[in-house]
Amino acid sequence: MTDGHLFGNILLGGRGGTNPGQLRVYSGGIVWKKQGGGKVVEVDKSDILSLSWLRIPRSFQLGVKAKDGLFYKFTGFREQDVNSLTSFFQRNLGITPEEKQLSISGHNWGDVELDGNTLTFLVESKQAFEISLADVSQAQLQGKNEVVLQFHVDDTTGANEKDSLMELTFHIPNSNTQFVGDESRP
Amino acid sequence: GDSRGAARASSDLVAYKNVTDLPAVRDPMIQVDQKNEAILLPVSGSTVPFHVATIKTITSNSDNRTSSIRIVFTVPGTPFNPHDASTLKFQSCIYLKEVTFLSKDAKHISDMVQQTKNLRRQVTSRESERAERAT
Repeated sequence: MTDGHLFGNILLGGRGGTNPGQLRVYSGGIVWKKQGGGKVVEVDKSDILSLSWLRIPRSFQLGVKAKDGLFYKFTGFREQDVNSLTSFFQRNLGITPEEKQLSISGHNWGDVELDGNTLTFLVESKQAFEISLADVSQAQLQGKNEVVLQFHVDDTTGANEKDSLMELTFHIPNSNTQFVGDESRP
Repeated sequence: GDSRGAARASSDLVAYKNVTDLPAVRDPMIQVDQKNEAILLPVSGSTVPFHVATIKTITSNSDNRTSSIRIVFTVPGTPFNPHDASTLKFQSCIYLKEVTFLSKDAKHISDMVQQTKNLRRQVTSRESERAERAT
């Protein structure tokens, strides 16, 4: 298996922080191995639902959505990697990665999009943040206009994050026609 | 729009213009960016900026073992939040209203609250001076 591309120092992101590792993209799929051993993420070509690129500060993030509902985020790609990988994905996997933009305006109003297991908060059609509904322990309506999401909090020392999101509330005005109340229940 | 003359609506305040202006945060933690008037929040492994003008209140709570920080953002239709151009324009949008983080570091949390409050005060007084000059 000499085909494909190998990238060192690619961070696998998620709740609980990020871990550096090595990412290999080949005609059979995507494999990420944690630096120094341990966790391995393997997504077979046939299990990839979609791919995306997001420009973030200092690098690019590859989003890999798997058919089982899991969503992996790999960070640390350079602009030239994006170009070469995009053509590799098109040629070998038949998938064109979607180009997403990050919201940087600092505004707190926008739209909520639900796609499979992922909730995205979009500000001016740009992505402000994404939440995996697997991380949500409870969703409830509060009053007529609010949806509260509570997150599983990892209170073991394993999590390397200093500050962890515990609760998040969306305000949905009466004039909003998208009914999020029921859909956001995992 | 009608940004000339009248006071600026809160929606005209923008934290960053380019993605490359956003500081790269190594570890997921809350940070305050004084220069760009933003608080940066770690959500699902990413850093999400919020302009301090969108913040209504920020408070912390600590006991012996855990600390938490709670940020309430401005949303339309709440008391003391006048309907300015922004809330009318975006009234059918979904708003992020509140976030609560747990923290391992009580000192860090109280620093963040203090810095955000100071920054918010500066921005508010600058914007109200600006509005006064415009009239």
